Amino acid sequence: MADLTGRAVTAARRVVGKVGRTRVVRVDDTGMGLVVHGDDRVVDVLFDGRRIWSFWLVRDTVRVPRSLSRRTVAWPDRMRPYLKGRTELVFRDHVLGADIGHFDQQFGDATARVAFVNSQGLEISLDKSGRFSPTFGGRTAEQLEPLLDAMDTVIAMLAELDVQAFPAYGTLLGAVREGQFLGHDSDADLGYVSRHTVPADVITESYRLQRAVSERGFATYRYSGAAFRIDVEESDGSVRGLDLFGGFMDSGRLYLMGEVGTEYDESWLLPLGTCTLAGREYPAPARPEKLLEAMYGPSWRVPDPAFKFETPRSTTLRLNDWFRGMTVFRRDWERKLIGAGGRVPKPVPSGLARYVAGQAPEGAEIFDVGAGLGVDALWLAVQGRKVTAYDYVTRASRGALIGAGRRGVDLTARPLNLTDFRSVLSEGARVVREPGERVILARHVLEATNRTGREGLMRFASLALRGGGTLYADVWTGGGEPPFGLRPLAIDRLVELTEQHGGAVLSVDPVPDGDGSENQIRRLVAQWA
Amino acid sequence: MGVRVGRAARNELAELRARVEGIEASIAELRRHHLRLAELTDLVQELLVPLASRDEDRVAAAIDKFQQGL
Repeated sequence: MADLTGRAVTAARRVVGKVGRTRVVRVDDTGMGLVVHGDDRVVDVLFDGRRIWSFWLVRDTVRVPRSLSRRTVAWPDRMRPYLKGRTELVFRDHVLGADIGHFDQQFGDATARVAFVNSQGLEISLDKSGRFSPTFGGRTAEQLEPLLDAMDTVIAMLAELDVQAFPAYGTLLGAVREGQFLGHDSDADLGYVSRHTVPADVITESYRLQRAVSERGFATYRYSGAAFRIDVEESDGSVRGLDLFGGFMDSGRLYLMGEVGTEYDESWLLPLGTCTLAGREYPAPARPEKLLEAMYGPSWRVPDPAFKFETPRSTTLRLNDWFRGMTVFRRDWERKLIGAGGRVPKPVPSGLARYVAGQAPEGAEIFDVGAGLGVDALWLAVQGRKVTAYDYVTRASRGALIGAGRRGVDLTARPLNLTDFRSVLSEGARVVREPGERVILARHVLEATNRTGREGLMRFASLALRGGGTLYADVWTGGGEPPFGLRPLAIDRLVELTEQHGGAVLSVDPVPDGDGSENQIRRLVAQWA
Repeated sequence: MGVRVGRAARNELAELRARVEGIEASIAELRRHHLRLAELTDLVQELLVPLASRDEDRVAAAIDKFQQGL
């Protein structure tokens, strides 16, 4: 430990000599120009005294051609919408605390101060994942109490379930290095090492834990077979995520979702010791520095708010194969849909929705699978149909639900994740028991997911449509500009997959694309006996 | 002679590369079975017994509880 600290100090001394010559020379609405000397290091960007973003002087910048020391960096895309108005802009070396740039900066024409606040009015900044969140930096001790309480609750609850959890990743790092949450961090992480040694058992255990947490009244959100988030409401009304990462040991190696795969001695873990976080005591691995080194490398003692994991490919592959693959493309669709999901959409139907409205037997319930914002679902409900809008981004259809409520029409939204076997089969088991005729509308869903998701949709269809129900699916097969999130699908493969799942394909006719593009679209109509 | 050895070595290297790729793909396939096995185990444990009871209320409650925890 002394050796590591010594090295960090030596490195810090080396940069002190250089920092005076490194400076930010230009700032405008698109980015900034710098003169950079010496080793790569982290710079915090402060707007009116508050850190909003951090970047590495070399890693995250681009060298100006034919210049040795001049570099440029653009403002991150996510910051741009906020860059309106005046601010005191400071660039500060994160480790040394020395300023390398100070500007009274005007962005655009607005006269107000530049403000980084979210829709709830909370101050936000960019966290290490490049997302805007209410980071810990601006939080009072009182505001952190509910999160600390939740950590206590969850750790105690997991102990009842025979799992010894401890602060992990940035939360463990903050506790061990500073006794506090890291100012630039935005969430709290917990980890545990399962008693099981086989991934399948670790996953089943994680499912069991999620149910137990959910039964105690916390909202949860699963990332993978070994990690999920527990949502905790704080005193100011903001909801903060508490991530729970599962791990296991096998033959002297530790794997911890989502970045660790390392040689590890069990005595470094057990018996658990303690660490202090914001004045409270929490469990910690017997030798936390060993785990921190596995997570952040040997330089974990040197603060780095712009840290990026460099997980070895072999570890990523293992963790991917064992645990991931049940939330395929979900993050992309969340980004696309959640912002727009709060507005009530105009019920303007797609060609497929019109077709289904004309074809589906009177009184048949319509399942809009992959409903997105729920525009078709709302329109069909307005036509007098009983409709369920299914999606794995459940918040996307909240505007449509409000619209349906105002109109007094029959629209329900339910979660369905086609790449999660449990979601598909449990929902299938639920609906197959309900009486009545059903049809499924799936507009550009089969080519928005992977093979697992396509199989999921066919499995769901084989349950929900048992006894004569029909699937109507529009699929992009190529041509024109790729629509957002879609990958062209060979129609023959789809026909084969449908038949494998017991569907009789009635037609796969080409459909003219309404917007005049050259996209080739086929409409698959299939029925289940 | 040298040309023949060089060609043989290249062929062997290509063959070994193909075999390594094949082995990697097989390992990945096997690893992916863990998630599917866990999903099925969980479904059977949580839903099979209530479904077998044929008690409609119990079945509905079991599915509802299961889905709450997804």
